[in-house]
Amino acid sequence: MSHFALSRRHLLKGTALAALSVPFSTFAMAEDGTRRLTVAADSEPKNLNPAIVASNGVFYIASKVIEPLAEASFTGADGLEPRLATAWEGSADGLSVTFKLRDGVTWHDGKPFSSADVAFSALEIWKKLQNLGRSVFANLETVDTPDALTAIFRFAKPTPFQLIRNALPVVTSVVPKHLYEGTDIATNPANVKLVGTGPFRLAEYKPGEYYRLTRNDAYWDKTAPKLDEIIYRVLPDRAAAGAALEAEEIQLAAFSAVPLSDLARISKVPGIKVISKGYEALTYQLVVEINHLRKELADLKVRQAIAHAIDRKFVVDTIFLGYATASTGPVPKNAPQFYTADVEAYDFDVAKANALLDEAGYPRGTDGKRFALKLLPAPYFNETRQFGAYLRQALAAIGIEAELVNNDSAAHQKAVYTEHAFDLAIAPPVFRGDPAISTTILVQSGTPAGVPFSNQGGYANAALDEIIKKASETVDEEARTELYKTFQQKVAEDLPLINVAEWGFITVARDTVENVASNPRWAVSNWADTALKS
Amino acid sequence: MGMMARLLRTRSGLIGACLLLVMALAALAAPVLFPGDPLAIAGPAFLPPLADTAFPLGTDSLGRDVLAGLFHGARASLAVGLAAALAALLVGLVVGTVAGFAGGWVDEVLMRITDAFQVIPRFLLALAFVSVLGGSMTTVVIAIALSSWTEPARLVRAEVLSIRERDYAAAARVIGMHPAEIAFREILPIALPPVLALSAIIVAAAIMIESALSFLGFGDPNIVTWGSMMAEGRNVLRSAPFLSVVPGIALLVTVLAVYLVSEGVNTALNNNQAVPRG
Repeated sequence: MSHFALSRRHLLKGTALAALSVPFSTFAMAEDGTRRLTVAADSEPKNLNPAIVASNGVFYIASKVIEPLAEASFTGADGLEPRLATAWEGSADGLSVTFKLRDGVTWHDGKPFSSADVAFSALEIWKKLQNLGRSVFANLETVDTPDALTAIFRFAKPTPFQLIRNALPVVTSVVPKHLYEGTDIATNPANVKLVGTGPFRLAEYKPGEYYRLTRNDAYWDKTAPKLDEIIYRVLPDRAAAGAALEAEEIQLAAFSAVPLSDLARISKVPGIKVISKGYEALTYQLVVEINHLRKELADLKVRQAIAHAIDRKFVVDTIFLGYATASTGPVPKNAPQFYTADVEAYDFDVAKANALLDEAGYPRGTDGKRFALKLLPAPYFNETRQFGAYLRQALAAIGIEAELVNNDSAAHQKAVYTEHAFDLAIAPPVFRGDPAISTTILVQSGTPAGVPFSNQGGYANAALDEIIKKASETVDEEARTELYKTFQQKVAEDLPLINVAEWGFITVARDTVENVASNPRWAVSNWADTALKS
Repeated sequence: MGMMARLLRTRSGLIGACLLLVMALAALAAPVLFPGDPLAIAGPAFLPPLADTAFPLGTDSLGRDVLAGLFHGARASLAVGLAAALAALLVGLVVGTVAGFAGGWVDEVLMRITDAFQVIPRFLLALAFVSVLGGSMTTVVIAIALSSWTEPARLVRAEVLSIRERDYAAAARVIGMHPAEIAFREILPIALPPVLALSAIIVAAAIMIESALSFLGFGDPNIVTWGSMMAEGRNVLRSAPFLSVVPGIALLVTVLAVYLVSEGVNTALNNNQAVPRG
């Protein structure tokens, strides 16, 4: 008995220690006057190097430490504002791009930043190792560095400057050459202990608890940063973020960490604001992926019927509670550079859908059912799962019996993108500023099995493939934009997949946090101008 | 006096049986009262209870009728609970009787297998099984049965061990009855009553495991169960608590009813001779 008591006392002591080990004040202003912003983080990426892993989970933390050449902007020319580069220009033949770099920038370890760092990052990391850079910089041959502040990217084949420009915020995180050269880049310790040029330094990381970023006093912009510390509290439980905001334990939760269904309530809490801006360049798309190897689904009339059976207004109003927009095609509305509304539209029309299915030669059986399908909703978002439940009902209304199959992330990716074991799937792909980055791959044929978020439904359309290929080599901006407009029309016409809605995330913050959503990639930008009201 | 009558004369047995009867009637009446798919979108989303006579218990986040879900959920919960308990009992009875009657190495082997199953926490075993084979009604039933057969097996074995030494068992051997016939026709019926008391607990546990699996998203997404209703409701716990509370109460009442019946069976068995005053 005494043994049990002893162990329990030990246990209690352990708990007390754990509670003490998060020593941060819950107030914005600590006793010592530190301007500290505490935010919620829902994941702890294994590799925190944004030059290698260009994903939002990594950027959310790393973009404050490691900067890109340019950042997305609401007001800047071509939707960009300078970061490490101050000017950029593409040659008329599409074979080179010249970057003028910022003067007087130093790395967090005190070494000067120069064009050699950009050349090294581009050739050794973006082109070879980065998930998105591998395709954007596929034809990058060399990077000339005539002086310390000029980098000239030279391409083997004409590469559209428009694409490079649109990709700048996402694919061009610059890391220090002197820490990576001659090492195994993928396992370099600097991938976790980041060294960058950004407004904040990564000071401390406690797995399962927090990341602590401190002010970089030597930041090139002398007016920034306006905070002394950023703490990322790891809160994987979605319900916890809302409660932590209300208790003032955190001051900001980005990436819809507070569920949509809780927004109406939390927006009424005094001192808390709900912000839907700041994600314009990170648009997620709700897409029905179609397995064209299935006889019924290879028929355009059946695909049209499914498109007509979906009530996009219901999806936006009820599933997304208004925090989304109905889609017309594969390019979202908030990419005005490429978007065209001049595409085939599919209104919600159950009678028409039923007529189309009758025409296609799939009459209702005696039980009212035409045929049965397997429907695999992606498990990543609550909304994709809910849309799965909705789509099953929408299909039932037109006599198609859909059987829902729920999988975890790994099993879902394997089933859809490797084994093609689906008839319909629901995916949330991201539009990343240019259709060539992650959008055309959704309809292009010839992608090997196993590539996630690619066309694995066996769809092959020579005309569309041709447009995609041509656009990838067209240097002239206007001609290239036109090609992508044709691309949108063809996709809406032939329905290799069905675009249903598009949405951005929601930030919930205390009133004291200023300059939230100051650019279209705000949550994953450097937060140099973010401030706390004193 | 019949077992049923004795059961109903205990207070807990009577209350439990009545509650179960109500649940069973609800389950049976579901397709009549709420024809069609209970997962169909029937009205506006997030209608609170008692706001609209068409939806007395309100609607969920997609506009599905909570009352219809509750009735159809009773079907799923009771069906899974009974099927899983039946399967677990069958396996348990056979293993227990064979082990107890045969003895020797057969007993050793069967009991070690039982041990192996018993050391794994019940719910984890079911969870592992379902996550590998995918969530469908059948796999959930098998998973629960797989994790619940050990207790009846042990109980039956213990009973059989004592019964097989009695005179009538010896007499059956003397007149040359086949051992299997002795085991299953002479001994098993005598060993059965205590297992019946246990069976109610297995049903209750099965209903709980099914709900927990659905709650974690491992159930069959094409049917409505109380667990899946609670899982959906959890996301909106603070703005629409009734979505989790209503199926939670149904689950609580059902499991309580089953326990009360089990309690009643126990009392009835113990008061075999005396007049039960429950």
